[in-house]
Amino acid sequence: MISKSAKIRASIGLYLVYILISLFFLLPFLWLVSLSFKTVPELFQSPPKLLPNQFNFDNYRYVLWKTDIFGYLKNSLIIVLVTVIGSLIFCLPAAYAFSRFNFKGKKMTMLAILFFQMISPLIVVIPLYKYLSRLGMLNNYGSLIFVYIAVVLPFAVWSIKGYIDTVPKELDEAAAIDGCNKFQTMCMAVLPLVVPGIVSVVILVVVKSWAQFIVPFILLNDSALYPISVGLVNLQSTADSITTHYLAAAAVIGIFPTLLIFVILQRFIVSAMTAGAVKG
Amino acid sequence: MLQTAPNPKKGVVSRLAQGPVYWIAPLILVLLVTFVYPTFEVIRYSFTDASLTGKDYSYTFSSFINILSDSQVYQTLWTTFVFVFFSVVGQTVLGLAIALAIVKGEELKLRGTVFVRVVTLLAWAIPGVIIGVIWKIFLNESESGILTSMLHAVGITNVTFLTSAGSALVCTIIANIWRGTAQSMILSYSGLKTISRDVLEAADIDGASSWQRLIHVTLPSISSVLSINVILNIINTFNTFDMVMSLTSGGPGNSTEVLALTAYNQIFVHMNLGSGSAYATILLLINGLMAALYFWFLRRSGEDA
Repeated sequence: MISKSAKIRASIGLYLVYILISLFFLLPFLWLVSLSFKTVPELFQSPPKLLPNQFNFDNYRYVLWKTDIFGYLKNSLIIVLVTVIGSLIFCLPAAYAFSRFNFKGKKMTMLAILFFQMISPLIVVIPLYKYLSRLGMLNNYGSLIFVYIAVVLPFAVWSIKGYIDTVPKELDEAAAIDGCNKFQTMCMAVLPLVVPGIVSVVILVVVKSWAQFIVPFILLNDSALYPISVGLVNLQSTADSITTHYLAAAAVIGIFPTLLIFVILQRFIVSAMTAGAVKG
Repeated sequence: MLQTAPNPKKGVVSRLAQGPVYWIAPLILVLLVTFVYPTFEVIRYSFTDASLTGKDYSYTFSSFINILSDSQVYQTLWTTFVFVFFSVVGQTVLGLAIALAIVKGEELKLRGTVFVRVVTLLAWAIPGVIIGVIWKIFLNESESGILTSMLHAVGITNVTFLTSAGSALVCTIIANIWRGTAQSMILSYSGLKTISRDVLEAADIDGASSWQRLIHVTLPSISSVLSINVILNIINTFNTFDMVMSLTSGGPGNSTEVLALTAYNQIFVHMNLGSGSAYATILLLINGLMAALYFWFLRRSGEDA
């Protein structure tokens, strides 16, 4: 139906659009990567070169061994890991119950949970700071991770309930006839079928918790405990000792884990990002 | 619900499993402690003259009275409004445009559609703090800054990015669009994928131009996805804190100080818990309003389906 020349014109137009989009989204990021390989003289070169003269890893070596970045990365890893496990423990049974039980006030409870997702963590962290400082529980990973878990729970419960809804209820009935109680039914019959959904949710929890800033920024003031997000701001503010090329290397290191997950597991992420909002 | 046969070996586990209470109680407890209680506390603090460190306080309306009589609040609200409005328009329009370009490219079987999709989604995996760092480095105003030198090359000199009030806000908005377009794009994209090809072909047969097809067929079909998208963008942008913190820290002056940042500064820099909580309460009200809108649109799109 469409003539060939019209098709070629459309293709050329689209490729131009693609190039513009790619430039806008890639240039700031690639510039950061480029700087992270540059030496100090290259840093002050004018006009600047897009690519570094050579890819040496001196900046990375410096940042990893001479600054506290390594410790920040380790802290983030611990926090994120415990957050993932903790959030699953709290959310899987609840999501199963919201999907399979009928009880009074279920709809209201679900809506209330969704409402919490809309609240800025800043609002809840203010009284928690006051409260935890009175209990002497600031700079404490237990209370910190508890808040991390709470922040991701609303979204995790909603998503996993959505995935469990897609498993036919006949399966639960068959498991019950086979003598499974509800807990066994959930663990052995239903959850194995929604593993891809759980993986999507876990990825989102990892990315969100890795990026979490307000909660540790306020609840921690011992820099030895900082996760990477707060650690970077800390490095940035002590700008005398760290110049741009070091900061760039540190930022690339901070992005690397989640970016890697993103590139490898893109399929899951797209499904998780759209699940809640499109299906409702 | 199916009634299971009574189990002769009625253990603790199966007894617990009968009602929903035990299944959701841990979740509800966590949410009560970390969301419900603090939310009420913030509202309570906003009616006090409490300081962050002190123990004693008394109840007063002075926080709100001070806020309303202080010209700084109008400055903050205006900055926040400009920031949110242009960020949301930018994210939504750009996200939709990219999604349309990708879907069109897929129809024409072009190469590179997957690449564009991945590139657009990239920012989503980057922590907000680091997005601030990226843009701060990108917007270096010295001769060795990449954007500055590119603008020099085409004859534009004396540009300011983050050092003057007006341009700093514009740059913050652009950085935020860079950050938030990923979600808009992927939502629009999956919305576009649900439109049946028959409808689009019918429009073609009726002789509709591509523009008419977009306005009269495509957009109405994804209107509910778009509305939800807009609301999510509004909520995310109002709550933005991390990126602004590392990009401008609210400056220069307080030209990029958005509501969340003001609340933070009042409490943790000026130690003024009462007044900061009043700002946080305003943010909470906005969050609540947007959540209500979100529910309304979710319900409406649920009825359509």
